[in-house]
Amino acid sequence: MEARTVERFKKRTIWFHWIHTAAFLLLIITGAILFFPGCGGAAAGGATRIIHHIASVIFIGGAILYIPLNPKRALQFVKDTLTWGKDDIGWLLAAPDYYFGGPEDKMPPQGHINTGQKMWQAVVLGTGVVFLVTGAIMWFARGSISEGVFQWCMVIHGLAFIVALAMLFVHIYLGALHPRMTESLRSMLNGKISPKYAKHHYGKWYEESLKEEKD
Amino acid sequence: MELKRRDFLKISTGAAGLVLLQPSNIDKVCEAAENSSNEDLAMLVDVSKCIGCWWCYVACKQYNGLPETATPKPDDPPPLAPDTWTTLFTKKQGNTWKFRKQACMHCTDAACVNVCPTGALSHNKLGFVQYERDKCSGCGYCSQYCPFEVPQLQTNKVSGDALMDKCTFCIDRVTNGQQTACSEACPTGAISFGKRKELLEEASTRLAELQKTNPDACLYGANELGGLHVMYILEESPEKQGLPADPKVPAAAMVHDVFQWLGVGAVAAVLAGFGLNYLVARARIAKEEK
Repeated sequence: MEARTVERFKKRTIWFHWIHTAAFLLLIITGAILFFPGCGGAAAGGATRIIHHIASVIFIGGAILYIPLNPKRALQFVKDTLTWGKDDIGWLLAAPDYYFGGPEDKMPPQGHINTGQKMWQAVVLGTGVVFLVTGAIMWFARGSISEGVFQWCMVIHGLAFIVALAMLFVHIYLGALHPRMTESLRSMLNGKISPKYAKHHYGKWYEESLKEEKD
Repeated sequence: MELKRRDFLKISTGAAGLVLLQPSNIDKVCEAAENSSNEDLAMLVDVSKCIGCWWCYVACKQYNGLPETATPKPDDPPPLAPDTWTTLFTKKQGNTWKFRKQACMHCTDAACVNVCPTGALSHNKLGFVQYERDKCSGCGYCSQYCPFEVPQLQTNKVSGDALMDKCTFCIDRVTNGQQTACSEACPTGAISFGKRKELLEEASTRLAELQKTNPDACLYGANELGGLHVMYILEESPEKQGLPADPKVPAAAMVHDVFQWLGVGAVAAVLAGFGLNYLVARARIAKEEK
């Protein structure tokens, strides 16, 4: 491996990622015991609801606070999520075989994040908004809104939970456990990856960052 | 011939009307009595006997150690609250007041039991909906799903900390051979307590008697939501007494049930997929590297 490294994430992004992760894990645990049949006994007494509320403030507040702290990266996050091209279609077609150990050369070159990560970001943004709206209604508006609105907020909160939880598992698996994603987790700890890994996984972004370095 | 036919129509229409209005209700009550479990306890509230003395309200407060928050008046009845588990629905009719005791209905198909995540609300083997306060997480789902708006929460809006309260069916009394505090206190016999089956039989007799002079008299709770454990003999239609004519467990509760198991399935499928993917991918990559 070459000694030179490529900077993939800034320190503040890494901090944000792990604080967000911790808050989300707390939300998942305290939410799962209410959601999954037969686990509700653990919520008796209501302490987990208070933890759920505190974690939700960190989860949502953190995301909002990150915008002024790192506006460029925050804008990039939204732009990356929404910008789709033919390489994304190519990725979607080639990815199943690739992730099951198939040849690498069929994967189109990717930008700073790949198509799969784009979809994960879309899930984070989408379910985040749904969690925020339905959660805030259930927390603050119970009694002021009709029972019907509350009932469907609870159902939709649960549906968003299923989507977010399943996709989080995919994110953890691909980020930390998949045999091909050897440097992914490390990059979220120290912010750096090897040029080889960058070239293989994020070809377009690597070329751009080389150009920027020369400039 | 023509006359006879007209007469026949008249008679049959009248008979159909009778079937729809009167005997069918009593038939249904008798049917419900036959189908009711021998174990189930219940209360039967005969509103025609209620004089609005509020003794049930006071007895409930006293037995359950709840503070008296207001002097109850017919024109300003205290609403159900975390510390008011039974009250009266009041209605002025001409120069007199009509009253209906109002509290948890202890449904068989209870939406609150269905949505309660912690098991704080459950069915007692005697049929009523029991409540274990120390298990309540304060989520408030019960209060938002109950078709009768019975469960009441005291809530801290900022922290979201909350606790529900409702009628307990005097579980400590009824499981020790006593009747509920409210039925014991009632001086006019408007609240009967006993085996649900027997109360239904009693109701059908009472109803037949009332219907002789009042065709609108009906029984509420024989079949509603799988059978209520607090039933009413009413002198007018349920809607006019502030009761939903056809109470239902909200559809969202069913959808939520489905989603819960869908969630279990999704998690299981994703984890199984990872196991398969890991083994296949590792083997293929190792082969390629060789």
